[in-house]
Amino acid sequence: MARIEIEHLTKMFGSRIALEDVSLSLEKGQIVGLLGPNGSGKTTLIKTLNGLLTPTHGSVRINDMTPGVETKKRVAYLPDRTALPEHMTTLQLMELYADFFADFDRQKAEAMAEDLGIDFNQTLKKMSKGTKEKLQLILVMARKADVYLLDEPIGGVDPATRDYILKTIISNYNEDAVVVISTHLISDIESVLDDVVFIKDGKLVLHKTAEQIREEDGKSVDQLFREVFRC
Amino acid sequence: MLGKLLKYEIPALGRKLIPLYIAWLVASVLLGFAVGETVAKPEIFVVISALIYSMVTAAVVVMAVILVVQRYRQSLLGDEGYFNMVLPVTSLEHIANKTISALIWVVISVVAAALSGLLIALSSGALSFRELFSMDMWAEILKGLDLGGVAISIEFIILALLSAAKSILAIYAALTIGHQVSRRVWLASIGAYIGFMICESFVGWVAMLISGNMESLMMNGPFASQSFMAISFATTILLGAAYFFLCNYFIGKRLNLD
Repeated sequence: MARIEIEHLTKMFGSRIALEDVSLSLEKGQIVGLLGPNGSGKTTLIKTLNGLLTPTHGSVRINDMTPGVETKKRVAYLPDRTALPEHMTTLQLMELYADFFADFDRQKAEAMAEDLGIDFNQTLKKMSKGTKEKLQLILVMARKADVYLLDEPIGGVDPATRDYILKTIISNYNEDAVVVISTHLISDIESVLDDVVFIKDGKLVLHKTAEQIREEDGKSVDQLFREVFRC
Repeated sequence: MLGKLLKYEIPALGRKLIPLYIAWLVASVLLGFAVGETVAKPEIFVVISALIYSMVTAAVVVMAVILVVQRYRQSLLGDEGYFNMVLPVTSLEHIANKTISALIWVVISVVAAALSGLLIALSSGALSFRELFSMDMWAEILKGLDLGGVAISIEFIILALLSAAKSILAIYAALTIGHQVSRRVWLASIGAYIGFMICESFVGWVAMLISGNMESLMMNGPFASQSFMAISFATTILLGAAYFFLCNYFIGKRLNLD
């Protein structure tokens, strides 16, 4: 059973097509790069998998279920914005996660927050943009989920933190899970990717393993990306 | 999960309302002291106290309405929706959470209003602490209210709570429907709310006509007839359920967080 199964998914906003007839199957035990330029449909796809958007046509299934309460128990989602209540402190947010997600490992979250020097008693409102992003990622990665959907996890942080985040992703995900990372910063994440999905103007243009790209195309993922998405 | 949602929602509303309630009660004491005749005070003190009290009272009312709208929109349909709507919670629980917590704060607001009146009376000297704890005074107040007995009073309180819940749900339903359009969300929400109010008037009018209560209402007032109360209960529950269904349908089946 595939962790994620997308069949002929189309999403329209009024007359604008955000996703067009996308079909994709993702198995467990891999880190998948959902790659494409800004506005290509990456966030729309991730939001549809989370049930935040309703498909216009087609279907999405997680663990063979349509998005709902049961899938939300098994999906850890990092949105592309600060979505947590700004008036809450790090400790309160950890309590919030522990209350709602049975798979949340509080000790692991506290250890990661300590590593990154995040103040446990500071409210989210008083944190810098980078610290907010780090904290959100920590809370998501401290879950033992089946599916991790990370929308631009390295977009707004410095290179040192970027390394820590990638290390965190690799060391925390398990063989039973699939991690989907949406980004346009290919070179930074190329080394951790098992599987690569290119998305352009709402259409899926490529789905290969990183190894296939290197062996069959004789290029790095970054090189192929630049070729496919050349302006 | 509803209990867990309420655990976070009730304090989130209180965080902004409690300081306003405290300011309201302080302004009440100040006003009572200003209008009391025990000590002579300059007239300007009375004017300023009355002005402060009016402003704080208006702020509490406006803030309460804004918060009801803002909490729902921000935490389910805005940026916080990206967290709240991925919690393993049904749309039904989300809407029940928002409605119950808003209703709790409506009740607290009514208690605060009563306390404000009491503080004005006490600090102005119009009422003494001895009178406050005298049973005679409360018996007099209850007699003055004369709602037609205990049963009618309880019915009236339940109807008031149901009406408040229905009004809150009407706002939520209007916001949810407004959110379905990609542009001019506020305009669509206000339009939906006006539409609901027209429907409510129509439903009320039809219910009165069908039950033959219109004439009795005109002649005897709203509390004279038991069947009028029954019709009020029925229409309030019906409309509240319709708004709840609308919210649940669009949040549960047609969610589109942009």
